[in-house]
Amino acid sequence: MTAYWNRLSVGSRAFLIIVPALLVVGAILTVAVALLLPPVLDFLGANLPLARFVAAAAAIIVVTIPVAFVIIYMELKVIAAMNLRVGPDRVGPYGSLMSVVHGLKVLAKEDFTPRGVDVPIFTLAPIVVFASIPLTMLVIPFAPGVFGQDFNIGLLYFFAIGGMSVVGLMMAGWASFNKYSLLGALRAAAQAISYELPLTLSVVGIIILAGTMSLNSIVQLQAGSFLDWNIWKQPLGFIIFFIAATAEANRTPLDMTEADQELVAGFATEYSGMRFGFFFFAEYVNVFVVSALSAVLFFGGWNAPFNWPFPVTLSLDPGGMGLGLIFLIALAPVVGTIILGLPFWLLSSRVSTLRALVIGFVLFNLLIVGAFMGWAFVSAAWVSGLVWMMLKTFVFVFIFVQMRGTLPRVRVDQLMSFAWKWLLPAALLNIFVTAIAVSILANR
Amino acid sequence: MTTPTRPSLDDPSLTIPVEHAGIFEPIPLARTERQREFYDLRDGEMLLNMGPQHPSTHGVLRVVLKISGEQVVDLDPVLGYLHRGVEKIAENSDFHHIISQLDPLEYVASLFCEWSPVMSFEKLLDVQVPRRAEYIRVLTGELNRIASHMLFMGWYALDLGGITPILWSFAERDEIVEILAAITGAKLLFNYFRIGGVNGDLNHEFMSRLGDWMSRAGAQLEAGMGLLNENEIFVRRARGLGVLDRETALRMCATGPNLRASGVPFDIRRAHPYSVYPELEFEIPTRREGDSLARYLLRMDEVRQSLRIIDQCLHQMPDGPVMARLPRLLRPRPGRAYSAVEGPRGQYSCYAISDGTDQPFRLRIHDPSFLHLQLVGLLMPGNLIADTMAIMASLDPVMGGVDK
Repeated sequence: MTAYWNRLSVGSRAFLIIVPALLVVGAILTVAVALLLPPVLDFLGANLPLARFVAAAAAIIVVTIPVAFVIIYMELKVIAAMNLRVGPDRVGPYGSLMSVVHGLKVLAKEDFTPRGVDVPIFTLAPIVVFASIPLTMLVIPFAPGVFGQDFNIGLLYFFAIGGMSVVGLMMAGWASFNKYSLLGALRAAAQAISYELPLTLSVVGIIILAGTMSLNSIVQLQAGSFLDWNIWKQPLGFIIFFIAATAEANRTPLDMTEADQELVAGFATEYSGMRFGFFFFAEYVNVFVVSALSAVLFFGGWNAPFNWPFPVTLSLDPGGMGLGLIFLIALAPVVGTIILGLPFWLLSSRVSTLRALVIGFVLFNLLIVGAFMGWAFVSAAWVSGLVWMMLKTFVFVFIFVQMRGTLPRVRVDQLMSFAWKWLLPAALLNIFVTAIAVSILANR
Repeated sequence: MTTPTRPSLDDPSLTIPVEHAGIFEPIPLARTERQREFYDLRDGEMLLNMGPQHPSTHGVLRVVLKISGEQVVDLDPVLGYLHRGVEKIAENSDFHHIISQLDPLEYVASLFCEWSPVMSFEKLLDVQVPRRAEYIRVLTGELNRIASHMLFMGWYALDLGGITPILWSFAERDEIVEILAAITGAKLLFNYFRIGGVNGDLNHEFMSRLGDWMSRAGAQLEAGMGLLNENEIFVRRARGLGVLDRETALRMCATGPNLRASGVPFDIRRAHPYSVYPELEFEIPTRREGDSLARYLLRMDEVRQSLRIIDQCLHQMPDGPVMARLPRLLRPRPGRAYSAVEGPRGQYSCYAISDGTDQPFRLRIHDPSFLHLQLVGLLMPGNLIADTMAIMASLDPVMGGVDK
């Protein structure tokens, strides 16, 4: 036995250990699942909303990371174009993996705790900030059926949870033992108090119009063409909402809390490594969430901007093709590859035969994927809804990014006086006008 | 005779009350009555250290701010991080070497800190500079002035939180610097002016690049200024910020754009003409408001005037040599000479004393940045932290010239 073992290579030895171990663990897991699954399923079946909540929360936490990556890349590239720069172009095609590398970088950096900080609060602060912002995504309807939870107080939940992140900023600023952080945190608190009011009041008009605070219902009431969107009924509300949302998301004309020319990095000055990464990601997820909320409240959410001029129905009956289907499946890739690669082979002498075939194969695959996505777009409502919703959301993200490249920063006292002297009265005016208009129209 | 000693920490009359110092803040040693008053905090006041590694201090300036909430109550600038003792270096190098030693003083517009000492040495030596060399000096000097003002515009916008203007203005500055590098061989510290002329005539690369740039410079500079001049946020922040009135400006020896923005039309190019400026046609832009916005807009007006001067220089450029005939070893007669030029930041002047050797006995350099930095202490108190750097940037000091 020992002689046999000694003759084996390292890989074989590993194989001989791992495979039985996997078999044993698998058997144990199978038995455990078989025993435990029925009660768990019963429990979930009995508490379906809870199960949905947990699953959606988990899914959203997972989804936020790529969303933040996309927005960071967008910011790098768009601002570079505005600054007459090239921007990242080394990692991945057109530098598209740059933000992923940024993420890995903050993971790999030293997680430094300075002397004198209040360690428990210092540690908790990034978690509070990061946890509160994805949780607001829970109520946003991305497409028909694609939403975490449909509360009847969805909008209220959104502002309540969104306001929690300021607590995290305060914790970070206070615990950092740094005067710049402290000033940043105090600014964050002052800004939150000033801008939460117009932000919340600016959507009251929509609540009056819709008669509900459920975001799903608000979107459904805007169905139809783009003329049915709330922006036409609440233009002033949208302007107030957008400005206040910029302050809430700490974006550039109103980013008092981390004004790098004044307060170094504000509340994040003493943070490094992944703790800083949490703040970083939270900021960009916040931009996404705020943009999505703008699209939902004022721009029809997942509704298409126009009614389709004709009903699109695709009815394929694969059974009717008989044996032809088998030939199609077998031959289409080969024929498609050759047909799509042929022009490259014919027209350019530098492209070798193999290369032309590879190009043809890639093009064929893209064609199939495109055809499948087009089919899904016209036949599945949630796919087209998701596409429209993302399109609208990223238009707003683009505007946020562009504002950062264009505008200087407002001074802190101007920020406050603008909120209290202009935004708040305007929001109240908006509510009065909407309420009067609704009551007149209802009585008529 | 007793040797002077550092004041000791044990001397109770000079230490700061301990209860005001934080856990990790070293208790500063007060050397003067003013420092003792500054570091003595009242209720609700806090010290905030800005620089030398703060992202927006210009160069290595350190400012200790005494703040009450967001408001700056008092401030204490700490200088000397860039001190080289350049006047002492000048006393120990011969006249040709001094030019390269003086370059890093005002590293943003280094032709002007060559120009003034070169002029005073020429007065000491009684040298007649060829006219072509004078025109070349004016031409390159005005190019450098535009480059300096472009840098000012970008940094000022950056201190107010706008990130794009600096890259737009650097596109222009880079082009100018490349043009100057074509004849001087360097992009920052040019070392181009010589006693009795300039080092090298205009060449083909310089002329072609300059012609190319001049054909589009006006429109491009206006486009860059358009990012800020009409920007509501920018104008609202800059207007009425750090108002420097006429009397204070004169009393505190402000010169250059900072003085002209306060309503005094004093420009050495017209007041005490030198070089070929009397032959050139240009205006002295003046504004009366004296605030940051006026200082910014005035510099932008100067850029337009500089473009006019460059245009005239190119048209009136005479032929001839670019260097006077001079011996290699210069030994001026014993005597004194003073000369002043109008730099992008103000009066840049130089007082040279010769004792008859090949090294100056004394070279006194007057840099406008140092005097303008004094104004910060007058303009700052009462403003917010956010405006600290905005006011400082609007005065446009360069720390190389301040610390010498």
